[in-house]
Amino acid sequence: MSDKIKDILIVGGGTAGWMSAAALGVLLAGTGTRIRLIESESIGTVGVGEATIPPIIMFNEMLGIDENTFIRETNATFKLGIEFNNWGGLGESYIHPFGDFGIDFDAIPFYQYWVSQHLSGHSRDLFDYSLMVQACKQGKFMRPLKDRPQSALAGINYAFQFDATLYAGYLRRLAEAKGVERIEGRIADVALNGETGFVESVTTDDGRSFHADFFIDCSGFRGLLIEQALKTGYEDWTAYLPCDRAVAVGCEKTAPPIPYTKATAREAGWQWRIPLQHRTGNGHVYCSAFMEDDEAADTLLRNLDGKALADPKFLRFTTGRRKKFWNKNVLALGLAAGFMEPLESTSLHLVQTGLARLLNHFPDKRFVQTDIDAFNDRTIVEYERVRDFLVLHYSMTTRDDTAFWRHCQTIDRPPSLERKIAQFQSAGRIFEEAGDLFSTASWLAVMYGQGIRPQAYNPVIDKADPLRIRAALDGVYKAVINSADVMPSHQAFIDDNCAMTGASL
Amino acid sequence: MSNARVSKVVIVGGGTAGWMTAAALSRFCSKSDVSITLVESEAIGTVGVGEATIPQLAKFNAMLGIDEDAFVKATQATFKLGIEFVDWGQIGTHYFHPFGVHGVDLEGIDFHQYWVKARSLGEDHPLESYSLNAKAARAGKFIRPKAEHGGFLNRMAYAFHFDAVLYAAFLRDYAEARGVTRLEGIVSNVHQNPDTGFLTTLTLQDGRELEGDLFIDCTGFRGVLIEGALKAGYEDWSHYLPVNRAVAVTTEAGEPPLPFTRATAYEAGWQWRIPPQHRIGNGYVYSDQYIDPDQAERDFVSRLDGALLKDPKHLRFMTGRRKTFWDKNCVAIGLSAGFMEPLESTSIHLIQSGISKLIALFPDKSMPKVERDEYNRLLSTDFAHIRDFLILHYKATGRQDTPFWAYVQNMDIPDTLQQKLDLLKSSGRFFKHDSELFDVTSWIAVAVGQGIVPASYNRMVEGLSDRNICESLANMRGLVDKTVAAMPSHEAFIARYCAAQPVRMQKAEIE
Repeated sequence: MSDKIKDILIVGGGTAGWMSAAALGVLLAGTGTRIRLIESESIGTVGVGEATIPPIIMFNEMLGIDENTFIRETNATFKLGIEFNNWGGLGESYIHPFGDFGIDFDAIPFYQYWVSQHLSGHSRDLFDYSLMVQACKQGKFMRPLKDRPQSALAGINYAFQFDATLYAGYLRRLAEAKGVERIEGRIADVALNGETGFVESVTTDDGRSFHADFFIDCSGFRGLLIEQALKTGYEDWTAYLPCDRAVAVGCEKTAPPIPYTKATAREAGWQWRIPLQHRTGNGHVYCSAFMEDDEAADTLLRNLDGKALADPKFLRFTTGRRKKFWNKNVLALGLAAGFMEPLESTSLHLVQTGLARLLNHFPDKRFVQTDIDAFNDRTIVEYERVRDFLVLHYSMTTRDDTAFWRHCQTIDRPPSLERKIAQFQSAGRIFEEAGDLFSTASWLAVMYGQGIRPQAYNPVIDKADPLRIRAALDGVYKAVINSADVMPSHQAFIDDNCAMTGASL
Repeated sequence: MSNARVSKVVIVGGGTAGWMTAAALSRFCSKSDVSITLVESEAIGTVGVGEATIPQLAKFNAMLGIDEDAFVKATQATFKLGIEFVDWGQIGTHYFHPFGVHGVDLEGIDFHQYWVKARSLGEDHPLESYSLNAKAARAGKFIRPKAEHGGFLNRMAYAFHFDAVLYAAFLRDYAEARGVTRLEGIVSNVHQNPDTGFLTTLTLQDGRELEGDLFIDCTGFRGVLIEGALKAGYEDWSHYLPVNRAVAVTTEAGEPPLPFTRATAYEAGWQWRIPPQHRIGNGYVYSDQYIDPDQAERDFVSRLDGALLKDPKHLRFMTGRRKTFWDKNCVAIGLSAGFMEPLESTSIHLIQSGISKLIALFPDKSMPKVERDEYNRLLSTDFAHIRDFLILHYKATGRQDTPFWAYVQNMDIPDTLQQKLDLLKSSGRFFKHDSELFDVTSWIAVAVGQGIVPASYNRMVEGLSDRNICESLANMRGLVDKTVAAMPSHEAFIARYCAAQPVRMQKAEIE
């Protein structure tokens, strides 16, 4: 058929660009579709140390990537969750683990039994029932024992912490092997069709022109095609999430890497700590209305556990999303699509789901509007759910020690978030909303971790014998402790399976 | 906190909805803390005729710990693999809407995209040839997929045809054994707290009084509590789904039971054929704007294949839903919550969905708003999704032969459905919205079956070569045929595991 897409041009070669190139390269191999990626070595990428969430494993599987190879090539470590320090209140700490708490029985979720016993003082702390939390605390890791579904070790859920620049390089090699062409160049001009307003071609500063049927804009914050050329517009979410700057730096590692990311709240924002095999990535996300850049950098440098490896790098952003992710024949992915701070490590995930959705809505030259609308509608819901989850961290706090945190307490919560909090407070219930990326277990961990306490429990639990519930809770706790016991240390697991080769900085 | 607990639940009405609710609550509420009373009257008939279900019912039974074979025997049930639709897209056409899935997805892309692609290459095997359920149904075969059967067979799914009155009786035994009290009586008066409007007591015709903290209205169309007392209001959907009457009757079975339901379109509606063990349930659903009830009954009876076991019974209804399902301390479950024609066998599912949400949101005496709002939001979504899927059957038709079909073909449809239809038409794409009941298999089966052929397919399928696609599809067809060939007949399967005694008229059968 003549309306088939024959030429795809990806603009920008950061993590988003090369993820797109690799995915399309693998999936379109052999179809005669030409895929090109244009990037310039003179433009830096944002990628620092990057933390991910478990669905990344599916993405790698789809690309046919061997996990151990990928880990070696990107100096990656494993990640079982995120430790949040000083969020609900100064001095408080909790871990948001991947994976579930306990085991459901009699058609009622485990956590509801826990709520019932917690209210009467007959349970341990929620986080004692998570194997991932226990493993984090002991610095342990192993992959799940898939062939032993009865064991708690089958429920291990993990993601990675890696060097995003190395990941992009790795995906570039994969994409090029699948026939994706890389073009070195800086885009100076974008030509639009006078009638349809579609992008026809881009021209580099040395005068070369590149035509394509379909463009993927991975040019970062600037949104070279989606915004500068198509003027799509941006929805600003600063009212919900006020941080607008970050300063990042790598530092020497001083101890074996831990299997989790840390997010520590500071006076006007928070600081991340992402341990890789060879070094530690750090960054300070802050709100410029409440803190100066110098002070932010000082705070970051004061709170490193090893020597800084470079000068701190500053970033500015506006939290929000492009009004349309897909406009005409341009699809925006990565920072060109929108920005949310990396508090829950969702950046790469949003690129990945964008690509999965593209797979389902893959266009032809007709660019059917219904398809594009459906793509945009679904993406909006996904972004809003992530936003809600992030707002939860800021707005449910008792901190009033700085002007920034006092401001956070006044943030209006979106109705869908308000509903979730009200249901949990009322009787310890959590319902998934349409498009929720985060599971019931994640909502539970963060709502509880931020200090929200249910006032009652689901009354149908009264049917169950309290002694049986307590025995079940004890059983889960013992399984967690015993399982964590037999797990190897994170470092030992890496050494045995996927240690990086040679030191590269 | 304990003083705020709901300690008295009163269920009014003892049809399928009433006894399903009583059974489930008796399973989840502790006998010593919560008393459950169900009031019903033998003088009031129930709507239940032969009833067809969808696979979700097995989950409900499993939640109650019911043994499947015992349930099948007790309710005269047969197995259901899907629905055959006859004369819907055009007179003379038919298609099968199977449970389970079509084919096998390849490279993360829906199977049907490859099927559309193969058609563009000149292949003309119907979707049905990729469905274990459809092929087994056509061959009159059945086997229960079990985990140990391994991969391919587990792509099958099944539900039941049964006698709804017997199912209610079966659940009544279950509920009574777990402490539910049944009262014979008719509600004559409903008392409300003058300040809060909450229901407080019911007076029965013989003067007995019944107090409750939480009331479940299972009184059917009338909605004695939710509408009669609380005036919750009703949202009328008859402009989308204009049928408003049915005439139903059971007939003698002349052949072994088929493992599927049949829905045949006629001049002003459609007719169901549901085969439980030993007899056949039939009904003609129609709009009285297009045919008068006497004529409808004559046409209906003339089309039946076995001897009538009693006189045809007429029903009237208005498609739509209660504006509020849970109002104050009253939850409407069953026909009191809303009505949609049984075209896709969703009535019992909506009961089940209401019950499981009530259990998940079980309130204390104050009936917190946060719980009620959530319940109403979730149920409204369920109703709207099913409504859209039903409208699809009428909207996607090429029939012009009667004013009824001309109307439904040209009527306005909800935006939510229009968007789905546009996506399907352009490139055969379908996306499930959150907890939507019917999935891609269902939407594709019905849309394609009724003549919507996607203009194009998802280009991503071209990652596989044409030859590779055609070979994969041929393999799938072969695997389906081979698997079906090895299955026992539906009749033999029932005889072996779960045959019911042949019954003539039963006492419980109030029609």
